[in-house]
Amino acid sequence: MRKTLIVALREYVVSVKTKAFLIGLLMMPLMMGGGFIVGAFMEGRVDTADKRIAIADYTGRLFDTLDSANRQRNDAAIFTGEGAARKQTLPRFVLEKIDTGGTDMQRLSLQLSDRIRKGELMAFVLIGPNVIDTNKDPGQATLNYYSNTPTYNDALGWISVVLNEQIQQLRLVGAAFDPKVVRQLTQRVAVGNLGLVKTDAAGNIISAEETNQLANFLVPFAMMFLMFMVIMATTAPLLNSTLEEKTQRIAEVLLSSISPFELMAGKLIGIMGVSLTMAAVYLSGAYAALSRAGYVQFFPWQSIWWFVGFLSLAVLMYGSIFIAIGAAVSDMKEAQSMMTPVMLLVVSPMFVMQNVIREPGSTLSLVLSLFPPATPMLMIIRQTVPPGIPLWQPLLGVALVLLASLVCVFAAGRIFRVGILMQGKGARISEMFRWALRG
Amino acid sequence: MIRPHMNVVEIENVTKTFGDHVAVNSLTLAVPQGSIYGFIGPNGSGKTTTLRMIMRIYHPDPGAGAIRVLGEMASTAASDRVGYLPEERGLYKKMKVSEVLRFYAQLKGHRNPNPLIRTWLERMGLSEYIDKKVETLSKGMSQKVQFISAVLTEPQLVILDEPFSGLDPVNADVLREAVLELRRKGATVIFSTHDTAVAEKMCDFIFMIYKGNKVLDGTLDSIQDRYGQDTVRVRVEGDNFDAQTIPGVEKVSDFGRLQELRMAPNTNPQTLLSELMRRGRVEHFELTRPSLHDIFVRIARPTSESTSHTEQAGAAHA
Repeated sequence: MRKTLIVALREYVVSVKTKAFLIGLLMMPLMMGGGFIVGAFMEGRVDTADKRIAIADYTGRLFDTLDSANRQRNDAAIFTGEGAARKQTLPRFVLEKIDTGGTDMQRLSLQLSDRIRKGELMAFVLIGPNVIDTNKDPGQATLNYYSNTPTYNDALGWISVVLNEQIQQLRLVGAAFDPKVVRQLTQRVAVGNLGLVKTDAAGNIISAEETNQLANFLVPFAMMFLMFMVIMATTAPLLNSTLEEKTQRIAEVLLSSISPFELMAGKLIGIMGVSLTMAAVYLSGAYAALSRAGYVQFFPWQSIWWFVGFLSLAVLMYGSIFIAIGAAVSDMKEAQSMMTPVMLLVVSPMFVMQNVIREPGSTLSLVLSLFPPATPMLMIIRQTVPPGIPLWQPLLGVALVLLASLVCVFAAGRIFRVGILMQGKGARISEMFRWALRG
Repeated sequence: MIRPHMNVVEIENVTKTFGDHVAVNSLTLAVPQGSIYGFIGPNGSGKTTTLRMIMRIYHPDPGAGAIRVLGEMASTAASDRVGYLPEERGLYKKMKVSEVLRFYAQLKGHRNPNPLIRTWLERMGLSEYIDKKVETLSKGMSQKVQFISAVLTEPQLVILDEPFSGLDPVNADVLREAVLELRRKGATVIFSTHDTAVAEKMCDFIFMIYKGNKVLDGTLDSIQDRYGQDTVRVRVEGDNFDAQTIPGVEKVSDFGRLQELRMAPNTNPQTLLSELMRRGRVEHFELTRPSLHDIFVRIARPTSESTSHTEQAGAAHA
């Protein structure tokens, strides 16, 4: 046992000290957090130069509303912060009233387009003469926004909202309705999305809490993705390290001091330590981030121990498979082809993840989550989506994964024992099965 | 010479097969304590397999045979009291020299190997490499590091598979001195080699295995005695001198300055000498026992023994 721990310690130290581990450790937070950081950095750095927009109002009744709304916007809405911290974060719109005086729309649009091309304008809007009165020729009821910057939609959106409100207002007045009454009558009702109503110890009814859609999807997804990442980052390198021990003839030295099974057990324990270290770093990082952001109640305390347990078993299961491959093949090229099916197994929960998150309680989800290679990741999803699942299901999952892990470790141990000292050509899959079965 | 009073390794009727291939066939061998035991034999004859069985890396075929190492019949990993240098070097490339040595020593159950590591590295002239990664070492250096890993924990039995191959003469001397030192301190040393000259000079006992079978086992004297004084070393000056044509000469090994003639059974050396004198000026005539090299070649190449003299000569002087 001492020797197994010595091997485990070496495996752990060597893995944790590699650059790949550190990079891997930083990668996910960087990728996830990097977006926020860059976003926050970029927020104050938008282009706040004025945007000139020409408005050709053929109705003659809409420009003034637009102009006064724009004045309000330029005075208030484009700023954030108070007092000294007040800062312009959006560009001002400068509206230019175009005298439509008899010029037909087509010619005018060409003139204004040329002005955009010259850089005098950012955009122009043609308001057709009949946009207010729906009974007249709909061919003249157009409202068009022209620009040479099709991906900048802020002005389009703002103009659309302001004009439509005013057009509706004018139509209602024209039909002799009181706009205020109509607004009240047509008001939409929001649907509340709630959890279940409970009672406390005293039997008082506790009203249901508003569910947080983001948290309900994000927490299970994050847990599964974390497990996936840790499994990939820690077990796959076992193939390399075993292959190194085999091709560099280190195995022979090791086996002169320790039995093959002890050696393999040591490697697995070491890598389990690495994966738990990695998971601990991420989980504490997530906890810190959540508490800073004030969302600490979403940290999934209740499933942490399940997570640790499933992760350990998954590492045991996949780690032993990778060790067996590393011991059986003779170079990395041979290893690649054998890795593909194993990788597919590791990735398989990703394909069904969406369905399982949406309907964690369905029979399909249950069956999928009891398929041992997928159990650790899918079960943790089903446990973290409220309201969770009956206890017997994760327990059965643990039992099945444990069984599968033991089978893998046992078979890998036999393949390892034969393969690790074999030089020359690598083993075929059929040979590996024979070694595993016959010992 | 140390009086052997106990056998450190006892192999009794052990067979090892890989598939259909019999690597070692009903081998019986006893290695006395305190001896240096040389394993010789051509490539693929079963030397390494035998050594690995002693190390319990391989297990003999199930059956009657048994291997007892340091008096123990353990069926699991080898004892911590046995050091092992495998034929090909096995070191983690990315680890530092001191880390690898510490790791290997700890696996042998040694709890504080650091002082020993420093002592040994100094002795092997590798002090400055203590914190270097293994991948920066030359082949000879890593071989010495590997050797240190085998002997660091002062094992009672040291098994060295081809310890001198690929070493330059200076390093080979350093290693040879270290092996002799181990023996002086009471360790038993088993090593395998292709170099019969080294085996002749260093080993108390020589064991030769050929195609899985033991063909020689004993002291050099006893082995040579079995072959009798059938060899004559001569130097003869003369035009077109060809010893091959002399009656009674079975085989000629030409070493350049000297020629080694093997006499057919019942050939009188005196008759041979007078025949040589008749053919040229005899500058050297020495009646001797066959060298280990010659015996090796007789066993391993019975069908083509008179060919490629130069290659054998080269090997003998390497």
